Amino acid sequence: MVSNRDFKRIDKYLYEVPQSFREDMLVPARFYADPELLEGALGDKSLEQLVNTATLPGIVKHALAMPDIHQGYGFPIGGVAATELPDGVISPGGVGYDINCGVRLLATHLHQEEVTPHLEDLASALYANCPSGVGKGGNIRLKRGELERLVEGGARWARDRGYATQADLERTEEGGCLEGADAGKLSQRARDRGQGQVGTLGAGNHFIEVDVVTEVFDEVAAERMGLFRDQVAVQIHCGSRGLGHQVCGDYVNRFQGAIHKYGIRLPDRELVCAPLSSPEGRDYLAAMKAAANYAFANRQVLAYHVRRSFEGVLAGKVKNYHVYQIYDIAHNMAKVEEHQVDGRRVKVCVHRKGATRAFGPGSPVLPDVYRDIGQPVLVPGSMGTASWVLVGTERSMAQTFGSTCHGAGRTMSRSKAKKTVWGADLREKLEADGIHIRAGSMAGLAEEAPVAYKDVDRVVEVVHGAGIARKVAQLRPLAVIKG
Amino acid sequence: MEFEEVEHTADWALRVYGRDLRELLVNAARGMSYLLVSDLVTISPAVERRFELDAYDAESLLVAWLSELAYWTEAEMLVFCEFDLCQVTPVHLEAVVKGDRVPSLHKHIKAVTYHNLHIIETNDGLETTVVFDV
Repeated sequence: MVSNRDFKRIDKYLYEVPQSFREDMLVPARFYADPELLEGALGDKSLEQLVNTATLPGIVKHALAMPDIHQGYGFPIGGVAATELPDGVISPGGVGYDINCGVRLLATHLHQEEVTPHLEDLASALYANCPSGVGKGGNIRLKRGELERLVEGGARWARDRGYATQADLERTEEGGCLEGADAGKLSQRARDRGQGQVGTLGAGNHFIEVDVVTEVFDEVAAERMGLFRDQVAVQIHCGSRGLGHQVCGDYVNRFQGAIHKYGIRLPDRELVCAPLSSPEGRDYLAAMKAAANYAFANRQVLAYHVRRSFEGVLAGKVKNYHVYQIYDIAHNMAKVEEHQVDGRRVKVCVHRKGATRAFGPGSPVLPDVYRDIGQPVLVPGSMGTASWVLVGTERSMAQTFGSTCHGAGRTMSRSKAKKTVWGADLREKLEADGIHIRAGSMAGLAEEAPVAYKDVDRVVEVVHGAGIARKVAQLRPLAVIKG
Repeated sequence: MEFEEVEHTADWALRVYGRDLRELLVNAARGMSYLLVSDLVTISPAVERRFELDAYDAESLLVAWLSELAYWTEAEMLVFCEFDLCQVTPVHLEAVVKGDRVPSLHKHIKAVTYHNLHIIETNDGLETTVVFDV
């Protein structure tokens, strides 16, 4: 276990476990926190898991964790690790089972008061139109060979099928398509699981939320994005569904053999990895990209259902029910990027597991509209609490391989949350606060109770204070749709 | 005791016991079914699945076994209640499992993880803790 005396504070919000802490560490481990969040991180095995990631072959600079760090399996959730090409490793556990789990933010031209009379109907329409829950399939039937086109094209497939506009793609990380995805690297079982789940939300912590913008902190960035105070917006949080889970499982299994082949010693088998230059590493990267593209397509189809729902409920009742995209980001992904390491410009594979890319102003990969303000970062809160829109900064580029936090981060196990909170009581409380709830399972609702999570405002305060992202706007939920 | 649920911040974990590997595998499967529906008595052995699995070692075999069952649950809402295992070695098993389709599930098991997965020998046989990504 990592204890108080094992790390030093190197800045107001930054702590470091030195490389000397454990013999197998290849770099120091750094994490962002304030004293209260630090206390939480010391309460589970998350810092030990962070130290474990510092042993990955080829890791450069530091193993990093964001203030929403919590215990995962293998990597901690909130972890960032960059390995240098060509022989640094890629680890499926460093991406997670839900490959390209992420968040999409959509916005409307509507003020809260225009939508309030129709919220009940809107929540019901979203719940009816966006398939959610355990084992729930989607309403899109893929033709023969279409899954291959989908995983290799991502959101472009959705555009070609009429589910997306060109503007949606431009306002999506990587344009909604990772180049180099290869359907041939997916197992038959991954394909089977992906076949019927396009445009589905799933269960667990995934949700669709109708929000209102409560505060604007950066007028210039907010205006550029198309956000304003009192505006109604929508968040979609989900990932690559069964296809992504299968890809991760398949390659964690295959890499159990690869670590012996490449003589890699690890403190936890869930960290299994292979050099990026190896056939195993290349195959996983191509399969992971396919799963990531599936997730981009999935969120895009859900966005289409959101638009359909707004049109169905609001057409003829408000002047403009148009729903446009602000941005879509991944928070479980590994990507090959160029970063500055010890004065050198190097190609690294940045694993972000429960962490968000947060590229600063000037980055050539950002769309023109956001290039001078920095990349939008979407940080959903726990159910019933605030969510945040941030932007990446120069400091995130310098300190964290262009990464920042991804959400609130759990503090309580699901089983404990279920024992502590009754789903029906929670629903009643949220409804009393004016939040409409549509959920398939009351037990599932209880597991996601706000009490089971850290305070997202505190997490955001740390990344803003540390300068690895900057506040733009705060949102508050009006309606929550869950599986 | 066959199995018990243990606390894990992000996910679900089960501690599983068995006199030998065969029993450990069966008890792990029963534990997973319990996570899915709570009461196995309500499940009838109406649908059968037969399969063989190969693995690198006993831990990999456990992950492969539970992953196979979780796959059928996701694909067909099948929850299993009877587990007949033969030819069990640390790298191979042959199984006939029976269960039934259910209208709803408590939990969606995304994956069975290798996180800190060790099958250890105790005075009573074998013990392990499996973490599920849910």
